[in-house]
Amino acid sequence: MELIVGGAYQGKWEYAKKIFPQAAWVSGEDCTLEELLQADGVYGFHNFLGRQMDAGEDARRLPDLIMEKNPDLIIVSNEVGYGVVPIESRERAFRELVGRVSCDLAARARRVHRVVCSVGTVIKDA
Amino acid sequence: MLTVITGGSGSGKSAYAEDTILSYGEGERIYIATMFPFDEESHRRIARHRDMRKDKGFRTIECYTGLDKVKVPVGAYVLLECMSNLVANEMYQEGGAKERTVEAVMNGIRWMQEQAARLCVVTNETFSDCQPYDTETRRYQKYLGTINCQMVQMAQSAVEVVYGIPLRLK
Repeated sequence: MELIVGGAYQGKWEYAKKIFPQAAWVSGEDCTLEELLQADGVYGFHNFLGRQMDAGEDARRLPDLIMEKNPDLIIVSNEVGYGVVPIESRERAFRELVGRVSCDLAARARRVHRVVCSVGTVIKDA
Repeated sequence: MLTVITGGSGSGKSAYAEDTILSYGEGERIYIATMFPFDEESHRRIARHRDMRKDKGFRTIECYTGLDKVKVPVGAYVLLECMSNLVANEMYQEGGAKERTVEAVMNGIRWMQEQAARLCVVTNETFSDCQPYDTETRRYQKYLGTINCQMVQMAQSAVEVVYGIPLRLK
């Protein structure tokens, strides 16, 4: 698994497409779980987490599921925990979920990249 | 010796900070807890943190305001979590330091350093999003940001944790 994180609009997906030019991508905004588990890469993965949460699914199991069914998946996801604690409880739950799942993914990923202003840095290379 | 550990929410800061204290080896481990349990969600968060550190030999001291009056054993390994809560408590709780928050907190940090052999402070990056914050929230960001800068200037090391991965700032 490869994990590519960073803030919104930092060029994460562009960076990913340069490193993995052959990959076929799905979007976290509208893909199904089945599509995710068959794709080469997913961008906007945090949106997928939000959709799972809103549908009442247990998204915390996704890292295990991905490692089992699609261990080479390339995951592009936003870092979202860099503001003041949100007033809405749904938003607090969302950033907690994105954080915990991303920690699990980072622990399992072969490499973790962080993209800031289009510049990617490999912060873990196992 | 002061280590500052920062990062976003849910980034794995706490686990990293606990491991840092454990890496110092045998010694008296003190956990200064600053989150005030005001609702069910904060009780859940506190319970989660207690569970994370339950077998790691920490003694917990609760400190919601007035860090400069907290006594810890001389030579202890001290983990303070989290500066973002301490600052909010000082600003808004009865008996808090109000507009003197930055000064009061920094006095507390210096006092801890006098007593502890090692001090790790967990803080929080709350400065990089686009929510339209009100004046009061911006004042909170200013106080916390100022404290973070001053602490890191004093610190021997500072780390930003990104999803469990430590990035060395200093």
